[in-house]
Amino acid sequence: MPNNEARRQFLKAGSLAAASGLLAGAASAQQPMDMKEMPMPHGHAGHSDNPQPKVPSDSDVQAEMDGFSRFKPSRGNDPDSDYYLGKLMPGFRSAAAGPAPFEAPDLTKLPWKMVRGAKEFHLVPMAVEREFLPGYKMNVYGYNGSMPGPTIEVNQGDRVRIVVTNELPEATTTHWHGFEMPVQYDGSETLTQNPIEPGKSFVYEFDVHEEGTFFYHAHVPMQEAFGSVGWFIVHPRKVFDPPVDRDFGLIFQNFFIEPTQTIADSWRMDWNWHTINGRSGPYTTPLVVKHGERVRIRLLDFSPMQHHPIHLHGHTFWVTGHEGARIPKSAWIPRNTELVGIAQASNFEFIANNPGDWMFHCHMVHHMMNHMTRQVGPRIRKNESIDQYLANTQSRPPVDATRDDPGFATPGYPQEMKGMNMSDAMIDTIWDRREVQGMRAMWPMSIMGLMTALRVLPEDLYHKVMETDEAVPKGSVFEEIVRRFGDPATYEAGPKKMMHDMKM
Amino acid sequence: MKRRFSKSRMLLALALTGTASLASAQRPDPGKTFVPPPPVPEAPYGLSDLDASGPLFPDAQLGDDAYSMAPPPVIVDGQVVDGPMSQDFNVVSHSLSDFLALAAQNNPTLRQARLQISGETAKALQAGLYPNPTLSYSGEQIGLDVPGDKDSPGEFQGLLVEQRFVTAGKLRLSREKYMRRAHVSEHLAIAQQFRVCNDVRVHFYRSLASQQILELRHELLKTAEDGAVTARELYNQGQATRPEVRRSNITLQRARLDVLTAENHYRDQFRQLVSLVGVDVAIAPVTGSLMPETEPISYQQAVSTLLAESPELMAARAKLAGDRVTLQRERVEWVPDIVARGGSGYNFDAKETVAVAGVSIELPVFDRNQGTIRQAQADLMRQQEEIRRTELNLQRRLASTYQQYLTSLQIATEYDRVIIPEAEMAYEELLESYKDNRVDWPDVLSAQHDLFDARLTQIQQLEMVRRNEVLVRGFMLHGGLDAAQGSTPPGHIDANPKPR
Repeated sequence: MPNNEARRQFLKAGSLAAASGLLAGAASAQQPMDMKEMPMPHGHAGHSDNPQPKVPSDSDVQAEMDGFSRFKPSRGNDPDSDYYLGKLMPGFRSAAAGPAPFEAPDLTKLPWKMVRGAKEFHLVPMAVEREFLPGYKMNVYGYNGSMPGPTIEVNQGDRVRIVVTNELPEATTTHWHGFEMPVQYDGSETLTQNPIEPGKSFVYEFDVHEEGTFFYHAHVPMQEAFGSVGWFIVHPRKVFDPPVDRDFGLIFQNFFIEPTQTIADSWRMDWNWHTINGRSGPYTTPLVVKHGERVRIRLLDFSPMQHHPIHLHGHTFWVTGHEGARIPKSAWIPRNTELVGIAQASNFEFIANNPGDWMFHCHMVHHMMNHMTRQVGPRIRKNESIDQYLANTQSRPPVDATRDDPGFATPGYPQEMKGMNMSDAMIDTIWDRREVQGMRAMWPMSIMGLMTALRVLPEDLYHKVMETDEAVPKGSVFEEIVRRFGDPATYEAGPKKMMHDMKM
Repeated sequence: MKRRFSKSRMLLALALTGTASLASAQRPDPGKTFVPPPPVPEAPYGLSDLDASGPLFPDAQLGDDAYSMAPPPVIVDGQVVDGPMSQDFNVVSHSLSDFLALAAQNNPTLRQARLQISGETAKALQAGLYPNPTLSYSGEQIGLDVPGDKDSPGEFQGLLVEQRFVTAGKLRLSREKYMRRAHVSEHLAIAQQFRVCNDVRVHFYRSLASQQILELRHELLKTAEDGAVTARELYNQGQATRPEVRRSNITLQRARLDVLTAENHYRDQFRQLVSLVGVDVAIAPVTGSLMPETEPISYQQAVSTLLAESPELMAARAKLAGDRVTLQRERVEWVPDIVARGGSGYNFDAKETVAVAGVSIELPVFDRNQGTIRQAQADLMRQQEEIRRTELNLQRRLASTYQQYLTSLQIATEYDRVIIPEAEMAYEELLESYKDNRVDWPDVLSAQHDLFDARLTQIQQLEMVRRNEVLVRGFMLHGGLDAAQGSTPPGHIDANPKPR
């Protein structure tokens, strides 16, 4: 059962019995990490007609410090203040509760068992199928049936044993990116170990004295380009201060996959598919947080050869760490856009003080869509249907060269891409997730390629969307946020027409 | 031309001067300066439905100096030659059986062939006719002195009848010889029928193929037109250079010329077909299928049918039988005929009516027709070799034709079975991908061109299949307007006033 689903079950059941049942199940699976995943309801999850944002009753943090408010866009009084831009503004969660549960949307966690004093994981490199968009099932390499692979999550000081069993048809090794370990387990093929032949296993075992954002990947370049990567998160022995309520992980990747193809071409020097945790926008799962929470986003660029300038709308975040280590607070940098290089990770922290649906995306123009195509041909002609060509391949229709649109008098017109067709099933799959309920009707037309959304929802709306099965009409959540925090008099709802003409 | 060029340069210079002065007087709005792509070339003469003022590029304005002149129409004796053919397509269509029926009635060589038979049977008639008797008047020893009359009218004055009695069945053999030659002519007439019908079939399929090629050339032209439009769209998006647009103009113009060439080729083939049927038929669509309807022929089947049933070979064999009779005929030639003579007259010496009788016979002492018999023997042996030569020659021609038949059939079949369906699916998949906004339109156009081009190749191969199939099934005979052959090759013994 996915973690967020477990959380929803818990809240729907509304009883400790359900929680204890779930806890018992988790314990029997020997996954103590799941205990930390259990939701921590803040006590007022009900829906109110006119709710006011307030600090949960079980939290002792303040709503405003040094002029910085966790409930409205604000910067604070003094750039030298610890609370300027919410720098050290704590989350609702207390440090004593331990690290916030790590959540990589659309990815699972790798289970472990304590064996001879070490957390033992079993990792299986293999060819996998990953659905980048609904219906677009691509052939890539990954681990344990997933691309990216399942997340390995441990605590600082743990001893880990990772049994890697190669189910690929070719040799591989696994590199533990960033760890300071005995060299024989570094995973550099041939330099430090013999390659793991198909069907064979290799046992990596080492003590984890680090904390922070790490990852594992095949140390065979083409396998890396083919998707062989996964998170390796190490929670600090001493919980980072200030504590965060949310800890998200997003892996950004690029692939080249020809039209009518499902096999990624790792030899290409250009890239036309972009994924976040193995999905392309608008199929990427939005990060849904509660208004006022402190959020950490760990972002890894595992593209073969593309850096990504990552931009978050509506918020200014602090860059608090990279893949090497957490940055001392004195060196944290506030940003709206962070350039993340290949094989680099960046940790962003911010207070979600601005309700709404906010774009979170790579700012490279060509990464904000998939499979760029030139805007010529019938698509921009008067008689644009391709169906008439498909209806009779023995004789093609005569070309229509008319230019009725006065825009054609402008050199360069049209620049806006006209879109691909989306089937009803594809639209349904995109809309069927709780994370997107209540967003504006046409939102998938703007989330494309290397893009996702950060949804900052007031407590009651969060509860309705994420913790109930209630029907949430399209646009209703967004309109409610506009009503409470925006300027409803000038707001125009999105048209609710079908989205067959998608740009993706 | 030179003067025109100078004028163009002058106009260009004026235009540049005007632009420069305009630029200095008034700065253009940002984003409003635009160098238009090169104009679309005017369509060649004969392609009136594709001229630049037609539906394609309605707004394209050709500059005065863009092209030196429009291609002139071809005029002979005040008449425009070969205008566009499209209006002719309203005429009713013709099928293969129509042309075969017309050819059977009107091809002159078929009548020639029948006349060859008649000629030989006439010769046979003539050769078997019995010799006529000879009636002669005879006056002998005129002026002979006889008792009572000096210088009498003669010893004998009277009428004689002479009749040659032909021996050894010469007349029967002569008649049989020519009847056999008539039989040879019958085989040759059948061969001529095959020549005509095969030629009609071949030219029908050529016409059909060229008609289908013309249709495909029109499809390829539409693709080239789309290419020209697409090049301009790319240009307007900053994605194509002026030389690339010019290249699209070249491709367009070549496609237009290909249409004209295909149209001219179709006319040529249709007119050749009409010449074979021997009556004037207006150019009209031909209807039929290029795909063979029957099972493929194996080489063994083809060669055994050819050797067993070829009219040429049967004529040669019939000719051999005739030559045997010729030899028999020459062998009896030395047998002397008996010439009997008889009559009655008046003997002025004896003063009484007397009769005359005589028989003569040629003594074959020196001339026993040895040379001619030898010649006939040589002709007989020559004809035996002729049969062998004909067999081998047919096999040689069959080998080459069958190879072409087989190759083109293999190619056409695989085009039908694999290549065209693959090209079609590639095209459809790219169309679907374009619909999904996943590929560029030039990629789709390329696949569309490949599909039409593959169908063009298939038609060309099917035409070869049909042409060679007709020859293989039709005993390798063609040449439907070559004069019908006679039964006798040169060198035969036909010099006698009376054929023998």
